[in-house]
Order: sequence, then C-alpha cells, then structure tokens
Amino acid sequence: MGRIVLENVTKSFGDAEVIPPLDLTIEDGEFAVFVGPSGCGKSTLLRLIAGLEETTSGRILIDGEDVTEVSPSKRGLAMVFQTYALYPHMSVRKNIAFPLRMAKMEQGEIDAAVDRAASILNLGDYLEKRPGQLSGGQRQRVAIGRAIVRQPTAFLFDEPLSNLDAALRVGMRLEISELHERLKTTMIYVTHDQVEAMTMANKIVVLRAGHIEQVGSPLELYRTPRNLFVAGFIGSPTMNFITGEEAAKHGAQTIGIRPEHIAVSASEGTWTGKVGVAEHLGSDTFFYVHDTGLAETLTVRATGEVSFRNGDTIHMTPREDLLHRFDAAGERMA
Amino acid sequence: MSKRTMPRLLQSPAVVLLLVWMLIPLGMTLFFSFIRYVLNSLRRPEWTTPSIENWRGFGNYDFVLGNKDFLLAVQNSLLIVCSILFLTVILGVLIAVLINKAFPGRGIVRVLLISPFFVMPAVNAVLWINMILDPVLGLQGIAVDGINALIRDLQNLPVLGAFFGLWPELSPISFRATQTSAYAVIIMVTWQWTPFAVLIFMTSLQSEDQQQKEAAILDGAGAWSQFRFLTLPHLGRPIAIVVMIQAIFHLSLYAEIEIVSRGNGNKNLPYLIGEFANNNIGAASATGIFAVILANIVAIFLLRMIGKTLME
Repeated sequence: MGRIVLENVTKSFGDAEVIPPLDLTIEDGEFAVFVGPSGCGKSTLLRLIAGLEETTSGRILIDGEDVTEVSPSKRGLAMVFQTYALYPHMSVRKNIAFPLRMAKMEQGEIDAAVDRAASILNLGDYLEKRPGQLSGGQRQRVAIGRAIVRQPTAFLFDEPLSNLDAALRVGMRLEISELHERLKTTMIYVTHDQVEAMTMANKIVVLRAGHIEQVGSPLELYRTPRNLFVAGFIGSPTMNFITGEEAAKHGAQTIGIRPEHIAVSASEGTWTGKVGVAEHLGSDTFFYVHDTGLAETLTVRATGEVSFRNGDTIHMTPREDLLHRFDAAGERMA
Repeated sequence: MSKRTMPRLLQSPAVVLLLVWMLIPLGMTLFFSFIRYVLNSLRRPEWTTPSIENWRGFGNYDFVLGNKDFLLAVQNSLLIVCSILFLTVILGVLIAVLINKAFPGRGIVRVLLISPFFVMPAVNAVLWINMILDPVLGLQGIAVDGINALIRDLQNLPVLGAFFGLWPELSPISFRATQTSAYAVIIMVTWQWTPFAVLIFMTSLQSEDQQQKEAAILDGAGAWSQFRFLTLPHLGRPIAIVVMIQAIFHLSLYAEIEIVSRGNGNKNLPYLIGEFANNNIGAASATGIFAVILANIVAIFLLRMIGKTLME
C-alpha cells in the first residue's frame, strides 16, 4: 500500500512562502512525476513528503495515517537523491545493507535481501567495490538498491538522472519504469525534464511557484493543457503561441498549435514564412520559420526528409481541430 | 641537451639543498654516535675534537642503554605523546561536532577556541604550573580549599551531616612532584593542542555531504549511528593528519618539561639528549638516533591503527 495524501500543506522559509496551500492525492501504485522549472518548489514538496522538511501547516497522510509529525525514518519511505548520497567508505554491499542494519535485522536476512536487490539491479559483480570505483549509472543503481531493500511503501526520486549523461539517462529511465512495473510500488519522481515526465509517469503534477498548475496523465496534459504555462511546458519542441489578429479570428486572446500539428507545403497553405534554421533528425525535421507575421518564430515539425533550405519560402496549414485557445488570463477556453 | 635534462638541471639546486639540509645533520649525528666526543675533559683532551681516531663502535649505544634514565625517558616519551594524542583527538572531535551547527556567536566562539594555539609553549607551561596547577597559589589550590570548606559546612547539617561526614577531605595535588609532573605536561599540552585538532576537524566537517546525512536519516540512522557510520569515517583522514603532526611535535617536547620539573622524574628523550649534550656529545647523538627510530615506529604504528579502526 502507498496512498499519499497532502491536505492544505504549506511551507514557508522565514517570510517567504514556498508552497502556498496545496492539496494532492497520489494513489497506491501510481508513478507520479512532479515537474516544473527550477525553483518551483517541486523538490521542497518531495522533501516535505519525506519528512526532511517540516510542514508549516497542513497534513500529510500515508495510507490514511497522519504522518505530519512522524520522523522521516518511521514513514516507511525510501528516497533516491540526485547526488546518489552513497556512503563513500562502505562497500556496495554495506551501502545496500545499511537501512536493514539500522533496523537491527539479522545478518542472514540482510545478506539474502541484499543479494535479492543486487540481482534485480544487476549489481552482483560490484558488491564488494566502493562507490568511488563505480560509474555514475552504477552508483545510481546502488542508490536504488539501497531504497528497494527496505520494501518501502513508496519511493521518492529527487532528480535522480540529472547527473548522468544523455545516453545513460535514457537507459536508466527505462530501468526505473521497469522497476515500477515489477514492484508496483508508489513512486514519486521529481524532475525538471518534461521528457522524463512524459515517458515515465502515470500522473504528472505540473508545478509553478509552489502552485499545482495541472494534474493528469501525460496525454491529458498534452491534449488539453489547462493554461498557457502547462501548454508551453509539456511537449517538445514547445507549442507555438500566436496572439493578435490571427487569435482573434478564433475568438481567443492566444491560440496555441504544436509543431507536429502543422502541415507544410512548398506551394500552398494558410500561413507563409521563411525558413530559418532547419534541424534534420532523420525521422523528423524541425523548421524554425520567421517572417510569418504571427509570432517571432514558428516551430514546425515535418516527418521524414523534407528538403526546405535556409531562406526558402514555406507554407503551413495548422490542423484546426488540434488548435488550443486561451483567454486573456491564459486559461484554456472550451 | 635532451628534453629532460633541462628541467632536471633546473630542479637540482632545490633537490641538492634539501638533501644537504637533511643528510648532513643526520650524517653528523650518526658519526658522532660512533665516536668518543665530549666537550670538556681534562683527563682525555683528545676526545674533545670529533675524529675518527676516537672510534667507539656501539659503545655510546651501550652506554645509553645502560643509563638508568634511558628506559624511563622512552616510557615517558610514549606516555606523554600517546596521552596527548588520545585526549586531543577525542576532545577535538567532540568540540568540532558541537560547534559545527550554526548558533549565535559562533564566530567568536571559534576564535576563542583557536586562541590557546597561539600561546608560546614556555608561556603556556609557566601559566599552567604557576597559576592553575599550583597546589597553594593556583586555581587548583583555591578550588580544593573551596570544596573542603563546602564539605565542612555540609557536615554541620542536621540530618545529612552524617552522610557528608563520610566524605574525605581533599588534598591538592603537587604537579611538580616526580610522580605527577608528566600529567601536568599532558594537561597543558592537551589544552594547547586541542584547538589544532578542532581546527582541522572543523574544516573537514564543513565539507561533509549533507545529502548523505539525509539519506542516513531516511535509512533509520539515529544521531549516534550517523556519527559512527558517516562522520567518524569522514574524519578518518584528518584524524590521521592530526596524529601524525602531533606525534612529530610532541616527541620533541622540551620547554614544558624544563619548566614543570627540570626533568625531575619526568625526562623524555629530547630532555635526556639535552642532559647528555651538556658534555657527552657522543651519548647525546646515540640517544638522538634512538629517538629517530622511536619516532618512526610510533608514526607507522599509529597510522596503521587509525586506518584499521576507522575505515570499514
């Protein structure tokens, strides 16, 4: 079990309110991702749940039990840190065994649990090494191993992949997703990378300045962003926003259209512009189009190899059914 | 000239200088330790100049080993050095951990804590032995008098008086005496060198990884476990440094011993060397070689011990 409920939780550091009153429910077995720009309070929120920070007011419930005043170690949560936070002078085996040793478990049981965790994470060959002798990805696996031996009610990940290089990050992303499939334990994952959020989450929580902007499944957020912030944050490359006359035509203050929802043509289309930079990724091509009279730059995605060059005139047609309309306050219009 | 000759050539003055600086004194000490060499002798004036003619072999070493003070001096050296190391490391770790957390006035507290280290050793010894440890005029005498007066007062209480009557009257300890003068040296040097340990440990604690601590908290480690399994191993290397440096310094303690008791029952090796060097340079040099050997044994032994106990 691992249902985590935040009720009216706030957090202030001195006079600065970092988290204004906030309600959130994370269901048992969910993979929830807190995402937002840096400084939005997502790490603070995670630390509040872990108990590393005290709440200023409000309640935190785990499986219906109020744990607001309960010490971090008694909450039954395990956390994986950005810097891994392995104990440098202990072998990998001792690192993973540490929480069990603190729980005064018998040595035989500890060994069995460590071996089990090591086999899940393919750490068998490294058990007698020190963290300093391991690569970044291996260290992160040890940190995860230290978390899973305790069989926690929920896992908390604090930007665990941001210290890894791009290729490794993709691999570890998969491994963590697979781990979730396997363990079916609640996981809360903090990241500033919306790609990680989109690929891993069942539930994404988009935060800005301590406020929850929107909660939903990745596709919900992609299809129906509730406001301009979420629309701009989710999706890569980011959504194009057009204001002014073109937006007024649709009865909105701002309209948004994703780069992948614009069709390109050399001869005809609703909008016209000049190609600036073209990024050829092979499967996709991204064009950054200027001089459209709509916005500074429009980003357009074309599938496959399309042969527009810098300076070419390009015609674009948005898919009207996938147009997002926002009012003056930046809220989504029905 | 090949590519490597030039840099070697440029390095050589420094290397030669260092070698000369080390090797000549060591070589002279070795040489003097194998010849008869005294400063003043009416009977054998030829011994007053160092010369290979006066070769004595291991005679000086025999003489030193046979000296009644030698074994005592070795024991005393070890007792003083080991006690000081033990006390300064424990006190240093405790104080450093205590003042590591932010509190109002921490800056001033830190400066005050460091200040004993800037007192000159001789001044330190004079202050301690006369103003603090003196059985009559020092703080010790005053404190003992005060406690005795208090106990006498308590003995006059109606009911509890009988209980306090069982308490003995305290008598002050004379730290200049043969049996206790080594302890006086240990106390005053510990006072002076604990700040050094605190300083080193404090800087090391500042670099301790806070996320590791948080991870340990979530892993269920209490304050003691965090100290035992994270902080203490983290301090392993600084402790080794403190032990090394202090061992080197305290094996050569001299001023404190001179001032406390003039070596009365409290000689260490350097003091013994000093006594021999009043006339018998040969014996003093032989003792010096023994001191070098002892220093090396102590250094190796201590470092091994620390390495084993702290690193898991």
